[in-house]
Formats: sequence, structure tokens, C-alpha cells
Amino acid sequence: MVSKVLVANRGEIACRILRACNEAGLSSVAIYAANDATSMFLELADQAVLLEGETIGDTYLDQQQILAIAKATGADAIHPGFGFLSERADFARAVGEAGIQWVGPSPEAIEQMGDKMTARITMRAAGVPVIPGEEIEQEEESEALAAIESASHRVGYPLLLKASSGGGGKGMRAVHSPKDLIESAKGARREAIAAFGDGRVYIERLLTGSKHVEIQVLADRHGRTVHLGERECSVQRRHQKVFEEAPCATMTAELREAMGQAAVSAAEAVSYEGAGTVEFLLAPTGEFFFLEMNTRIQVEHPVTELVTGVDLVREQLRIAAGKPMSCGPLMIRGHAIEVRLYAEDAANNFLPAIGPLAVFRPPEGPGVRLDTGVREGDSVTPNYDPMLAKLIVWAPSRTEALQRMRRALDEFVVLGTTTNIRFLRELCDEPEVVTGRTDTTTIDRLWPDGWRPSVPRSIEDAALMSAAVGESAGLHRTGPAATGASSGPISPFATLHRRFP
Amino acid sequence: MHHQFRSPDGPIEVTVAKQGESWYLGSLEATPMPDGRLRILNDDGTVTFAHLVKVGDVWWVHVQGHTFKLERVEPGASDTDDGGGLTAPMPGKVLQVLVDVGQSVSAGTTLMVLEAMKMEHRIVAANDATVTAVHFGAGDQVEQGVALLALEES
Repeated sequence: MVSKVLVANRGEIACRILRACNEAGLSSVAIYAANDATSMFLELADQAVLLEGETIGDTYLDQQQILAIAKATGADAIHPGFGFLSERADFARAVGEAGIQWVGPSPEAIEQMGDKMTARITMRAAGVPVIPGEEIEQEEESEALAAIESASHRVGYPLLLKASSGGGGKGMRAVHSPKDLIESAKGARREAIAAFGDGRVYIERLLTGSKHVEIQVLADRHGRTVHLGERECSVQRRHQKVFEEAPCATMTAELREAMGQAAVSAAEAVSYEGAGTVEFLLAPTGEFFFLEMNTRIQVEHPVTELVTGVDLVREQLRIAAGKPMSCGPLMIRGHAIEVRLYAEDAANNFLPAIGPLAVFRPPEGPGVRLDTGVREGDSVTPNYDPMLAKLIVWAPSRTEALQRMRRALDEFVVLGTTTNIRFLRELCDEPEVVTGRTDTTTIDRLWPDGWRPSVPRSIEDAALMSAAVGESAGLHRTGPAATGASSGPISPFATLHRRFP
Repeated sequence: MHHQFRSPDGPIEVTVAKQGESWYLGSLEATPMPDGRLRILNDDGTVTFAHLVKVGDVWWVHVQGHTFKLERVEPGASDTDDGGGLTAPMPGKVLQVLVDVGQSVSAGTTLMVLEAMKMEHRIVAANDATVTAVHFGAGDQVEQGVALLALEES
């Protein structure tokens, strides 16, 4: 039985889960750090409890404190979202031992898949193809560096160093020449130790020209494990996805079936339960290789929801409650694209940006979905990930989905903080994106010396004029927010009417 | 009215004239709207809407999918403030200092490594230069905009 869900996360994904709880008629509890006291996700929960502590480690990662709140509030399930504690097997285990339902797979499955090196070994054993490479078991720095050096000769260049506990591009380095190997390995280890407390890295051959294609899986306790088709997430910068779509433009029915079956085998190999994603590299030859399995809901899950009609978070809650999943046979309809809006300066090496969201006006209209955890008036701080929102569109065809995305991005107004909106908009015009021939090196190849916006002179003139008029007319003193409806005479119709029975 | 804005290519001067409720610049006509936006009539008869807001000295403007940051230069202010790019791009922690005072560095040399928003950022020399000052050590917290190092071009 699941009746009251504690959401152990914040921001956009907390909003997504809390809304699902609300729709499912489940009570919900949000937890928040002091610097999130006015964040939007608190408003979507029935109840919000403050986490004592200053750092992320003392708040969103404090397992004991979160468990204590779950018990005190009577929560009977914990949904971890993504990031934070979502792939911490020890937490999943502690939750279970406290008699609370974990919304996700078993601690054993998280362990087997969460350690990327163990996952490679498990998948090889299950007959799922893995990328040529080597696991480095040594933990001590000089021994590990020596082992990496020695393995690099067998793997060959270019190669990729990856943190065994990694994710989100942290602790990952592409190495193109032997002279950069040691410095890159030290950097990857340092970042991995800082982010995950585990400096182990492994080496993989860097497969250039490949697509990043991942398969969504769902498994329940009633013996059913299914795949929900693929998402393509090749367009990445610093190994972080920015543009995701379903289906993959170059997918065939046969390949989807083969990859789907491999993903189902991967899930079954670890007795998987709930929603998970099996990531593959798809080479131009049509060969595919297991990358890793993410044992949680994924940032880009909405594109799968839009083309399959399956509400993945509702299915997670249903499966956690011990019920069979509700979705029928796989049916893919139309095309969905998601872009990730980051507070970052795309024209300056994608450096994260901070500032107020003085204006935040998302697009609307048919086929447009916005998943965000911020609203106008909030501030972007350096405390958390700089992702502001996910903009997702659906349309009957890929061409129309791109047209819709261009329109939606042009409508999206964010002022006060630098964002990558224009970068995403220009990305939608790139021939590789238009034809669907993107691969994981697309951004680096298209803009080897960094991206710069191309701005028509007439639009720049209009902007300069606007600033000059704004200054001259004193628009900043009245302020866009302060004018508007309240500036006119009071309407005689602005009264409250109530009819009593 | 006359205003000056900073741009990467030097200051840009803009003069707009008012007539009635509208403002004019060349063939463009802009009219403030009750919600704070501007309605801009172009000379080809098309209309665009600009969103704008001022944060500090900077006007943020959105026109047709493009966003602009236009820093207004106060009349009489000098325009010599150039940090040379060796300032902290955001609040964070110094992870490593890779150079010493007096050291000669070539363009592209990594001078310092910062950690901010869980990612590493490299502070890199833009030109061949000599390090004349290092203001922070490993482990120090830095605020956005503070000078991290000083270089003298060689």
C-alpha cells in the first residue's frame, strides 16, 4: 500500500512527482533546505518539512534526517527523483528496512547497475554487447594512474575516462593523445572523489560518430518487463544532454526490437522493478553497445511519455504499490523533442550563470509542455544545478515537431539571467539536427571554437532602441510588473460574488 | 534622448526622439504598452513586441527570439574597467593554483582551477604574459567578479 509519498528531491523533478501524487490522490511530503524555502515545489506538496543543515550533504543527501522526517510525517513511500539519493543503494536499503516503500528498484539492482564497472561485467555475462574497454580496480592514486597508463595502450586512442560512480558528465574526460592522459585521469579522479566520494575510473574506447540511444523500460512485480521504445540524446555538451527526442530519426522497427530486447534482458538480469533506462551507443554500422543503466526516472522521460501515452511517474507509483503496470502494448505516435534550458552562457563556453528571473514567460499553445521548478521572481543561485526548465513539444511528425520547437523557443522570454535559449533555437536550424544525423560530437564539430549567436542587424537595432526608450521613458521605475492591471482606475466590477445555497 | 550602452565592440550611442506617446529611431516607432512591453512598428509595416527589464545597470531586452544584455554607461563614467578575464566568473572555490608570481606563461596556459556548480572551471591566460599577483590559494572561497590573478602582457 502506498498512500503518502515523501519526495526526496527538489526543483523541477520534485514538481513533476508531486503533481503525479496529487493526480493519483496520494498525500505528499516535500523536504527542503533553507535556501529553497520559497521554491515552487513546496507549494505542490500537502506538507513541507525543513531539512536542518547548510550543505547539500547535510540536507538533500542526509539519509538519517530524511528517514526521520518520513517516519514523523507518516510517509509510507519515498520517491527519490533523479540525482541526489536516487541511485544510492544504501539509502534504498535503509528505506526498506524502515518499513517504507522505495519507489524504484531493489538495492541489489541499484548496486549492480550503479557501479559502472560491475554493470559492464554483469551485462557482458547477460550477453548484452559492451564497449571495448577495461575496468581499473586500483583505488590508490599512483597505482590507478599506472594501471590507466598501461590499459590505455590496449584500449587505444581516442579514449574516454569515466568515473565508476559517475553520471551527468562528472568525472568524465575524453583523451585524444597520450600526453594528456595523466592530467585528464587526475582531473577525472578529483571530480569523481568530490562528487561521489569514489575516485575509481574505467577506460573505454571513444566511439566517435555514434548516436546516444537509450531504451526506457518498466518492470512490475507481476512478471512483466517491457520496453517503451527509444530516446535519442546524442546532442550533448560537456557530456550533458541538451536536446532529446523520441523516436530516434534513423531507427528501424528491427533495430528497435533488437535494442528493446537487449534492454529487457539487462533489466531482467538484475530482477529490475519500476522505471529504468538502458543507455546504448549506436554506431553508424548499426551495432549497439551497452553504456550504462540508470536505475531511476530520467530527466528526458517526457519525450517517451508524449509519444507512448504512458505516464511514467504514475506507473512508478503504481508499481511501487505492488499493482501491475497499466500500459498496454507499445504504440509510438508522432514525434517529441525536449530541450534543456540552462542558466548558462552558451557564447562563453557554456559557463553557468546566476541572477534573478526578472521576466520568465514560457511559451504556450498546442503540443507544448513545460516542466520547471522556477517561476518569475525566483533567483538562480550557484547552490544547485543550473537547469531551469525542460521544454518539450509533440507533433505528428519530426519536421513539425522541430517547427513547433522553433516557435516555442522564440516565444520563451527569460530576462535577468543568461540562458541557452538562443543556442537551442539555432541548434534547431542546423542541417544535422534537421536531418536527424546528429551524433555525440555534433556540438563540438559544429562550433569547434565556441558558439556565437548570429543576430540580424535590424533586431539588434530594435533591441538598442528598446533599451534607450526604456531608459528615457523610465520604464524601470514604474517596472513591467508594477504597471499592468493595477495602474488604471479601479474597476467597479472587481468585486467578489458568492452564492449561498 | 541620448544614451550610451556598452558592447563588446565598444560603446554604442543611441538617440531616440519622442512624439506624442511614441518614440522614434530612424524608421522604427516604439510605443510603451500598459504591461511594460514595447510595441515596435517596423518600416515594412510589421509589428514586433519587445520585453524589457532593467537589473542594476543592465537592460535585458527580448526581441523576436533574441535576448540582449545592454549595460547602460552612466553619462560621465569612464570606460576603462577591464578585468582582463581573470576574475571569478561565479562564486566558487579555488581548487588549484597552477602558477607562481613572476612566472612567464604562454597564451592558453591554465592558471587556476575553480569549482563552481559542481563543475571544474579553468582560468586560462589569454595572451603570453608574466604573473604579477596571485590573490587566492587552494581551498579559498571566491565571490563572483573578484580578481583572481594579475598578469602583465609580455
